[in-house]
Amino acid sequence: MPAPYEIFVLVKQVPDQGSKAGLNPDGTIDRAKAKRMLNPFDRYALQAALHTKKCYGGRVTAISMGPPPAVEILMEALEHGVDRGVLLSDRRLAASDTLATAYALFKTVTWVGRFDLIFCGLQTTDGDTAQVGPQLAERLGLPQITYCQDFKVEDDKVHAERIIEGGYQKLISELPVLITVANSYHPLDYKSFRGAWRVQQLLRNQEEQKKYIQTVDLDLVGADPERCGLKGSPTIVAATEKVGEIGGNCSMHEGHSPTDLVSEVLDASKLKEFLTV
Amino acid sequence: MTDEGKKISSPKGEVLVIAEQILGELQPVTLELLGAGRYLSDKLGSQLTCLVMGHNLAEITEKLVSYGADAVYVADHPDLTCYRTLTYRRVVVDLLDSLAIPPHICLLGSTTTGRDLAPRIAAHFETGLTADCTELDVGPYEHKSKVDPSKVGIYEECLYAIRPSFGESLKARILGPWKNPQMATTRPGQMTPLKPDSNRQAKIIPVQVSIKPEDNRLIVAETLREVGKGIKLQEADVIVAGGYGLGSADGFQLMNQLAACFPNSAVGSSRKVVDLGWIPYEHQVGQTGKTVRPKVYIACGISGAIQHRVGMSKSSLIIAINKDVDAPIFKFAHHGIVGDIFQIVPEMIRQLESVKSDKEVQTVVSTH
Repeated sequence: MPAPYEIFVLVKQVPDQGSKAGLNPDGTIDRAKAKRMLNPFDRYALQAALHTKKCYGGRVTAISMGPPPAVEILMEALEHGVDRGVLLSDRRLAASDTLATAYALFKTVTWVGRFDLIFCGLQTTDGDTAQVGPQLAERLGLPQITYCQDFKVEDDKVHAERIIEGGYQKLISELPVLITVANSYHPLDYKSFRGAWRVQQLLRNQEEQKKYIQTVDLDLVGADPERCGLKGSPTIVAATEKVGEIGGNCSMHEGHSPTDLVSEVLDASKLKEFLTV
Repeated sequence: MTDEGKKISSPKGEVLVIAEQILGELQPVTLELLGAGRYLSDKLGSQLTCLVMGHNLAEITEKLVSYGADAVYVADHPDLTCYRTLTYRRVVVDLLDSLAIPPHICLLGSTTTGRDLAPRIAAHFETGLTADCTELDVGPYEHKSKVDPSKVGIYEECLYAIRPSFGESLKARILGPWKNPQMATTRPGQMTPLKPDSNRQAKIIPVQVSIKPEDNRLIVAETLREVGKGIKLQEADVIVAGGYGLGSADGFQLMNQLAACFPNSAVGSSRKVVDLGWIPYEHQVGQTGKTVRPKVYIACGISGAIQHRVGMSKSSLIIAINKDVDAPIFKFAHHGIVGDIFQIVPEMIRQLESVKSDKEVQTVVSTH
């Protein structure tokens, strides 16, 4: 029998970009009004974590950092079959950049306990940096496999395929390891019936919920508040500027039949000239 | 006594570019970063340096000099043949520790290598890192916020790391002047390399490589590159790109058909449809995808968010098809068609095909 693994998966709640809710007329986002969702990239990380448990045995813990509503995505993770969730939530974390975030997560991960594999999404859709995973690995002193599109565990070693420009690398890493999962990995399976049923029970019973989802703060995990939030962040957004309208004189074609519209545009744009080399 | 108006300038460190090679092939993004780095270091009045790691690097080193580096640190070691997070990280950390003053700025490519390595370096030195910048500059900054009194002051020569901000039609200028190196990554295709000049001279500085046993916890068994395979988005003359407006993955069949009308064409996509799994990542155009500048860019059902725009706005001719007349893409396309993709695109294919077959008939006739 293979050793049961302690598997962590890091997830984040992000604003739903597909929804127009919370979109201000000037193009900025009102995060309080915006719809919330599980970061799409994290779905692949969840799948990787659950797959590892299914193949090799173990326990999956989903860890998140965010304001209290982020508990929703831990519930979602539970529905998919994750065993328990931990949410780091603390006002002092506001305005954390990636370095401060990685520090806070580092303290949370070590507080939760021993682990063999940590899975993260490749990046988030709201920050787009892909930095927190590797920064957390650095804090934990771990090897890392980013852009991982497939893997198996053999003799306590991870054999992985990592995407590179124009191809891929085959890597072998010792455990423990941190893996960021590419979106060419398998998509997340449907919610499990058992998981969904359990979450239904938890929604009715606050006491029971606490057994599965624990909310922690900086003091509990032993994080130094000075190293979190605005104070602990080496970068700031100093200025934002509107993006000028390049071109700005788009000639619009509308209102006619598709045939007329297309011939109008083909003539105006001289697109036909590009049909031959 | 307050710190207000206190001018803070740090000792003048170099601008360091970390070069990238895959299987001994220098990656173009390094030359682009040297172009950007040259501009920054000239403005700062400091040196432009470059670190290259690998094995048998003579040719690459020469190239780095001709593209503008004042000094090249060469870490040549058989263990560095392939990029590995822990070994490369060790070399960079050791090099930075060995410098009398840290680099003012440190730049990497926003590639699978740079995005793997840069955050490790930034976290180790607890310094700021901005990903996927579309512009870089240096200039002054006055920090007034008293949240952390130790940060207040006027900083003369900060790195301006400029990138689009999330989901908003805004560009954000991100700064981290409190600690050097100030780090940033940029996507391939965003910066412009200098013209190579073989008369350029530079100091070549060999770097001591001391890899520790724990750095071998991660090994590379094999590197497989399928050069020539896959799509050539950045080399295409015509790109037909599809977005969320296609409704489903099937919509990309139509994109393929339209692209097939043109020689040297490729299919691109917005980021959202890649997230949804409609099309693989290699097709993605934009801030977190590829930066392209084709002769023609036909955007179908793409709203034109800033993240997409920064990846394609330099295309010579942009034609946008969208049913939403208020879509931002109509603010910067050259020609906009308001309508249903599934009516417009098939019609466009039909008309283009008929022109083509006319031409073929002419050619056949003229050869007789």
